[in-house]
Amino acid sequence: MSTTAVAERLKNIWETPKTPWGWFATVDHKEIGQRYLFTAMIFLIVGGVEALIMRIQLTRPDQMMLSPEMYNQLFSMHGITMIFWYAQPILSGFAIYVIPLMIGARDMAFPRLNAFTYWVFVLSGILLYVSPCLGQAPHGGWFSYMPYTSYRFSPSYGLDFYALSLIMFTISMTGGAINFIVTILRLRAPGMSLNRMPLFLYSTLTISWVSVFAMPSLTAACVFMELDRRWGTHFYGIANGGNPVLWQQLFWFFAHPWVYIIFLPATGMLSMIIPVFSRRPIVGYAWVATATVLTGAIGFSVWLHHMFTVGMSDMAMSFFSAGSMMISIFTTIQVFAWVATIWKGRLVMTASMYYALGSVALLVIGGLNGTFTGIIPVDWQAHNSYYVVAHIHYVLIGGNVFPVFAAFYYWLPKMTGRMLNETLGKWSFWVMFTGLNVGFFPMHIVGLMGMPRRIFTYAPGLSLGPLNMVETIGAFVLGIGILLTLINIAHSLRHGRLAGRNPWNADTLEWATDSPPEPYARVHLPTVTTRHPLWDDFDEEDDPDDSRVFAEGRLTLVSRWTDAEPFAIAKMPKETISPLLLALAMFGFFLALAFQHMWLALAAFIVMLLLSCYWMWPREQGEEIA
Amino acid sequence: MATMTQTEEPRFPRQPVSGYPLDDNRGTWAVALIIATEATLFVCLFASYFYLASNKNRWAVDKPPKLHYALIMLIILLASSVVLHMGERQVKRQRYTAARIWLGLTILMGFGFLAVSALEYLDHWKTLTPYSDSYGSIFYTIVTFHAAHVIVGLLILIYTLLIPRYSPALRSPYRPYHVATLYWHFVDIVWVFVVALLYVMPNLRVYGF
Repeated sequence: MSTTAVAERLKNIWETPKTPWGWFATVDHKEIGQRYLFTAMIFLIVGGVEALIMRIQLTRPDQMMLSPEMYNQLFSMHGITMIFWYAQPILSGFAIYVIPLMIGARDMAFPRLNAFTYWVFVLSGILLYVSPCLGQAPHGGWFSYMPYTSYRFSPSYGLDFYALSLIMFTISMTGGAINFIVTILRLRAPGMSLNRMPLFLYSTLTISWVSVFAMPSLTAACVFMELDRRWGTHFYGIANGGNPVLWQQLFWFFAHPWVYIIFLPATGMLSMIIPVFSRRPIVGYAWVATATVLTGAIGFSVWLHHMFTVGMSDMAMSFFSAGSMMISIFTTIQVFAWVATIWKGRLVMTASMYYALGSVALLVIGGLNGTFTGIIPVDWQAHNSYYVVAHIHYVLIGGNVFPVFAAFYYWLPKMTGRMLNETLGKWSFWVMFTGLNVGFFPMHIVGLMGMPRRIFTYAPGLSLGPLNMVETIGAFVLGIGILLTLINIAHSLRHGRLAGRNPWNADTLEWATDSPPEPYARVHLPTVTTRHPLWDDFDEEDDPDDSRVFAEGRLTLVSRWTDAEPFAIAKMPKETISPLLLALAMFGFFLALAFQHMWLALAAFIVMLLLSCYWMWPREQGEEIA
Repeated sequence: MATMTQTEEPRFPRQPVSGYPLDDNRGTWAVALIIATEATLFVCLFASYFYLASNKNRWAVDKPPKLHYALIMLIILLASSVVLHMGERQVKRQRYTAARIWLGLTILMGFGFLAVSALEYLDHWKTLTPYSDSYGSIFYTIVTFHAAHVIVGLLILIYTLLIPRYSPALRSPYRPYHVATLYWHFVDIVWVFVVALLYVMPNLRVYGF
């Protein structure tokens, strides 16, 4: 067969029908990845607007624009939205889009699960946002400490929605993590052994393992909360032998690993982008890979540093303080590897590289002030002050938002086929960078001056006013910077310069596909002989006898997880609507639970059961494989 | 780990595609990971149990839970795991009818477990409810979480019993059976821990050896 005929055949096999049914039933990782990105950006905008409203309220002392309750709901929703529904899903979006292309597979290991986790993610976000629509948003901060969040002190529905939407979210996260693990460990191109994996794969693989072992703790905490609130149990109520600190233990056992879950893939992105724009391989590949894995592992033994003021033995505090210090060593290894790469390289100053460099700078600031607060006496002083707000925003904006924007400028041309405007991108970077530093650096100072976080206003005469005014201005500048990139993206979709296959002359396999990639990604599945296949005499098309085309059906190669020696072929599922239906039934289930309509919940559970059977039911699908 | 590698023995005469056998092990990996995450959930529950206990002078001391129901349930579950394992051996030898009979037997034993469990609830409820104190709350939550896992395991087994078997060339009936078996063994092992930590340990503490 000629190449065009083969391509045509592959296209027929892999293309999702362009019908409304196809839109809802798609299992294409490229489509789902873009949806993740789009939805997470919506959550970023919503969370950002919530933050700006808070900043307006705090501009001057004694402002009464928001009531205390409104303010509490706003900062809670801002934190929950950003940390759960923006920060991880945006990274998942890139990973879902890029990883199959990067490892030379034609889809994720479980394409239907992929669609399912997306729908559950969206619907859990909608479930969370039902509560502000009822005027009863959660108001206990993103970590909702007991006993304030018990029924006695918070009788409104907000925290029920918090607990239930988070349980639903953990289902999406765990499913996604399992999908990443199996994809990365089993679907890599022949030859892409563990020591040749791009570093983005290391970070995503690490956080997927971390998710598998960290999420259940959140599930347990939220189940206890819901049982306590509506079903009369006594997990957290001190009067009947419960313990409110149990919530903190369970929550932080989950939430500190979570910090690395939303941070490590971003470092993985930097480890992809910085070498490409330094025009050389990364310095210390093995060190960076090891540091990534160890950060994930040690991330499980630092959670008590969120609780130094709770009251615990000196031994426990010393141990967890040491753990927190130790983890900064691994981050430092990564930072030094990037700096050395930049040092030894020949820089190409694209907008993407601007964001990457900015991110490294911000990470150093956020890392240093974090290490500083890891020291127990300092923590006691700075705890619950704006100092901590400054730290979290430096690490999360510097360690998540900036790498994500670098990734937008880097990978969007692959997704849309069109380049973003570089000049506007650099403007956007400088505006964001200025806004972030103007908005958040003064928080260190007001924090050390004693301004506590989560207060809706402050008294005049404490000389907090001017700095708060500066912070508000900075926050708006940051918002404008983000808006510039959004405009840039929207504009590029129509008017951007055509990207071509490899606009950055990058080294990894996704750049060997068309931009945007064909539904089947590539005609010949690639083989890999080095860490930088596209830099080192890449022979992807060197498949003269068409032995790696696999046009008999939806197929992709399966290889051993260590040395990526191919040994089997995986059959991929076709479009199906069952993931969406199952996610909707699950949404109904949790909504019924929130209002304690147990018969409705039971009905929804039975529907979920039947849908799962329908999903899994074996169908005669052997014919298409000869 | 045996479950994590492609099984070496030739099982079904299926047509290779482009020179490669069809992969049927991804699902097993996924189930192994689901088991890992669910096991972690139980670890969190047990940790909560001991965390709450550490804060109280009195922890299930004056009336430790009765052992006999839990031990009967333990025997039923462990036996059911053996029975299901026999079934899995049959299905590997492509004796599907025999395999289904063993599977049916396992399901009956699972229902037997739930029946004894109901008796245990009725009896235990007289002295302890989830509303009594934190001990009751965490005790019933762990036991009920496990019962829910037994129910889910049973649903998976029933589903495996009902799915049709196409000719081996098209689809292996072995994988669903294998995966359901893995999950059922997991549910059984969790009960071993529940009995040891929630039933035996308090009794030991009160009555000694």
